[in-house]
Amino acid sequence: MTAATMITAPGSRTSSIVFLATLLLGPIIAVNGLAFIMPVLNLLMLSFRESLGGGGLGDAYTLDNWSSTLVDGFYIELIVQSILTSLMITILTLVASYPIALYLHRAQGRWRTILLVLVISPLLTSAVVRTYGWIAILADDGLINNTLKALGADAMRLLFNKVGVVIGLTEILMPYMILALLAGFGRLDPRVEEAAETLGASPWKVFWRIIVPLTMPGVALGCLLSFVLAVSSFITPKLLGGGRVFLLATEIYDQAIVTLNWPLAATLSMIILVIFGAALVLYSRLLRAVL
Amino acid sequence: MKKSIFLSGILLAGMAAIPAYADQTVTFLGYSGLFQERYTKAVIEPFMAANPGIKVEYFPQQGSAAMLGALRAQKAAPQSDVALMDVSVAKTGTDEGLFDKIDESVTKNFADLYPNAKFEGVAGVGVTFDNLVLIYNTDAIKKAPDSWNALKDTSLKGKVAMLSAPDIVGIGTTIIMNHINGGTDFIKNIDAGINAMAEVAPNIQTWEPKPEVYPTVVNGQVSLGVGWNARSQVNADGSNGKMKVALPKEGTILQINTINLVKGGPSAEAARKFVDYALSAEAQAAFTASMYYAPTNAKAKVAAEVADRTVIGAMDKVIPVDWIGLSKVRDQITQDWRRKVIPLSR
Repeated sequence: MTAATMITAPGSRTSSIVFLATLLLGPIIAVNGLAFIMPVLNLLMLSFRESLGGGGLGDAYTLDNWSSTLVDGFYIELIVQSILTSLMITILTLVASYPIALYLHRAQGRWRTILLVLVISPLLTSAVVRTYGWIAILADDGLINNTLKALGADAMRLLFNKVGVVIGLTEILMPYMILALLAGFGRLDPRVEEAAETLGASPWKVFWRIIVPLTMPGVALGCLLSFVLAVSSFITPKLLGGGRVFLLATEIYDQAIVTLNWPLAATLSMIILVIFGAALVLYSRLLRAVL
Repeated sequence: MKKSIFLSGILLAGMAAIPAYADQTVTFLGYSGLFQERYTKAVIEPFMAANPGIKVEYFPQQGSAAMLGALRAQKAAPQSDVALMDVSVAKTGTDEGLFDKIDESVTKNFADLYPNAKFEGVAGVGVTFDNLVLIYNTDAIKKAPDSWNALKDTSLKGKVAMLSAPDIVGIGTTIIMNHINGGTDFIKNIDAGINAMAEVAPNIQTWEPKPEVYPTVVNGQVSLGVGWNARSQVNADGSNGKMKVALPKEGTILQINTINLVKGGPSAEAARKFVDYALSAEAQAAFTASMYYAPTNAKAKVAAEVADRTVIGAMDKVIPVDWIGLSKVRDQITQDWRRKVIPLSR
């Protein structure tokens, strides 16, 4: 019966699918259009507005913001530094999260639930609170330095510099990375590992030749997520950087809120968006290569 | 049927709105936090008590920049009447045509304002004077620092906090340093100030004291900091003697908040009444007593012990700053900081 209707009335079925799809996609398209596309277009326009001294916003349109940003050594270094720092944070987050995710993936029953809750629980506290926690730990007379001093070692400078930003962001991004890794570990089948061991592969070889390739989708997803979050994070670098670490996100804040140069802030925001786009392209390439 | 329900809804809403229009509501944009709390008690509540037909709605904002953002967004149909903001941002707002001029025709108190509360090219007028001060932790520093050069003291390595440029604290401290090191016109050349700040840099623990510089000094995380007098005095009062405020002998610079009338605001007449009151000797004295901002009305009567904790007594030592001219070189000073000052901090 259904097969018959499918053959006799393919047109009406397709149109009803299109209708259903439009109905289902409508809300998200509307929300995205209003809350994402329109503001971004607005930002793009703003990046071409003329910037007058003292935070004034001119009515004329100009290419100055773009041309001056892309030749100014400070901003080029800012862009390069932001990308490198975020990459470093992403790799450290991956290294710290991978074993945890692997263990969680293999854990069973109630134990697995408890561990999962433990991994997710930091997300229930705001990043600001966790960042202040890191200040208490990393400060000159904080937990780590007091321990070092008690052991007779020299205190280290761990806060209000890049070290502090990297440590803080790595910890803050770990739950996201672990969840993304777990989501991408679906293809990892313990029987494949057992088969490799049966055939005489060493544990090291099993890890590199079996586990790592099979978990690549999770690794790619987690890295994309962490990188995007690291580039756009602003509270943690602001609190832990002590005004010495210049990143795109903090510079956008300064330009938008302190010096009131909205066109420059908009230009830098668009540059971040381009970086995200590049990361997304890289991600889809990588995914296609491993699948 | 549906239509009639809809219509009666509109009618009901209209009736409910009528009493609200009978009384006028002045929407006031001002700083959030402590400022809002104290300004409401000292100025807004007495004004509303004296003018029962007018309600002042305080719309708290994080800073002047946020206010400018709100006013820009509302330019086509303003929702606010009065904005209290930093003079340099008020200048930008004036240039963009957001404000009506305040002069004798708006308030008779205009004549009583100090000359440095009136600005060429700014529609509003000064409503509070604040100034930069040194704040110090009394456990770490026993003798009150009497010079800005205390910031360079090599024994304070890693124990100083202040906001860096482009914040006004960083720029203002550079202007003071420029002045005491023989600089003349900082708009033309601020090298003397930048060089002095380069000597301060190795002492700096953080250029971004959070949430503010005051608690970091009170709790001893740093020993010395640069802050604004009004907030420093209020924080010193609540610090159990842990933090004290010093106005160095070389003088200081002023930060000036202006009060501005929003062009085309919904309650123009009531807003003018409020501005008139805010600039009166009575309101000015009350707010000074409450939060140690110096009054801009020369006739404000302030008790001697309060005046001593404001810049009133040291007006002759104030280093003049052309805020409007500064806005043109602020970017350059910020670049100098990034190249020559911040890299020297450890």
